[in-house]
Amino acid sequence: MGEGAQTKSTLVLHDLPALQAADLLPGDSASFAVFSALPAVHYCMGCFGCWLRTPGTCVLKDRGSEFAGLFSRHENFYVVSRLVFGGLSPDVKAVLDRSIGILLPFFRTTHKEMHHGLRYDKRPDFHYLFYGDATEQEVATARKLVRANMINFEPENYSVDFYGSPQEAVGALP
Amino acid sequence: MKITIINGSPKARGSASELIIKAFQSKLGPNAECTVCHAALWAGPKVVETATMSDAIVLVFPLYVDSIPSHLLRLLDTQGGALSAAAPGAKVYAVVNNGFYEGRQNAVALEILRNFCARYGLTWGQGLGVGAGGVITAVPMDSWPLRPLDKALDDFADAVAKGAIGEDVFITSNLPRFVYQLSAHSEWRKLAKKHGLTTKQLYQRPAK
Repeated sequence: MGEGAQTKSTLVLHDLPALQAADLLPGDSASFAVFSALPAVHYCMGCFGCWLRTPGTCVLKDRGSEFAGLFSRHENFYVVSRLVFGGLSPDVKAVLDRSIGILLPFFRTTHKEMHHGLRYDKRPDFHYLFYGDATEQEVATARKLVRANMINFEPENYSVDFYGSPQEAVGALP
Repeated sequence: MKITIINGSPKARGSASELIIKAFQSKLGPNAECTVCHAALWAGPKVVETATMSDAIVLVFPLYVDSIPSHLLRLLDTQGGALSAAAPGAKVYAVVNNGFYEGRQNAVALEILRNFCARYGLTWGQGLGVGAGGVITAVPMDSWPLRPLDKALDDFADAVAKGAIGEDVFITSNLPRFVYQLSAHSEWRKLAKKHGLTTKQLYQRPAK
């Protein structure tokens, strides 16, 4: 972790059980916001309401709709997730699926591929901290997934790291 | 042969996944005994019970953030062991569709499914990655823009019926890329208007 990260505002999305999170994570402050993926938020219904009804905000009425609004307010975004088949855990994935309002419905071309436009000019750097047992193949898949995500969300910088336990992953936070 | 199809769209009806499933089923021979489960509407144990002793499990779903929609991922995460025990000989196949033009953008989601199979001792059969998914709900399956999908589903149904294992296949629409993009943008504007919004309002930034 670079020293610069210490002074930047940080947003953490994690899937740790409440008691473990209380033990391991600092509380919210002006420069450090924590969003728990537990209890699980409702899954994305694929309605495109976040693009066409209330642009930028999910229309479902639970706390999962609050997450998209946090992105552009922070300089560093950390995802602490159990590695599941080489991807994010279902709980973390549910929050991200509900947050595609940070993108626009309209397409752009980047990396010679079609992708959604970016709603915000200011975007945090992304840091993926995966934890749990992992095969070599799952690690390779996760790297590909992160690269694909980064083409979509287009942060200036990103990183991906793997840890044996949630404690180790949280230990890597600024 | 027993085939369990899992619809992984969050939509109860009218999804591209549903249309793909219907087209796929129509291409299977008379010996195929198919059941369609809906991952968003069915409890996990009911899906497992339905899949008992299946020869093939076919997942059909939309790409969400480069991966599997969370409700389907949860089903695989919580029921993977039970599914493997209930249908130990099953081969797993998947059709993933995304709204971008390139079918290849579904490759990571298919890789995640291969990892799922490896975790639970299931055999991976084949994946089909479909681009330009917006076309699927817009025109009939047998029309020119969807001919590549129709043809790919012929081969895919043949592979599933034979229990074949193959390389993943990636396709897109016959529509040129710029036509697909213009049509999609026009559709977004039309839908925005329907919801009482101007095109400019679609760009609003609620987070300051």
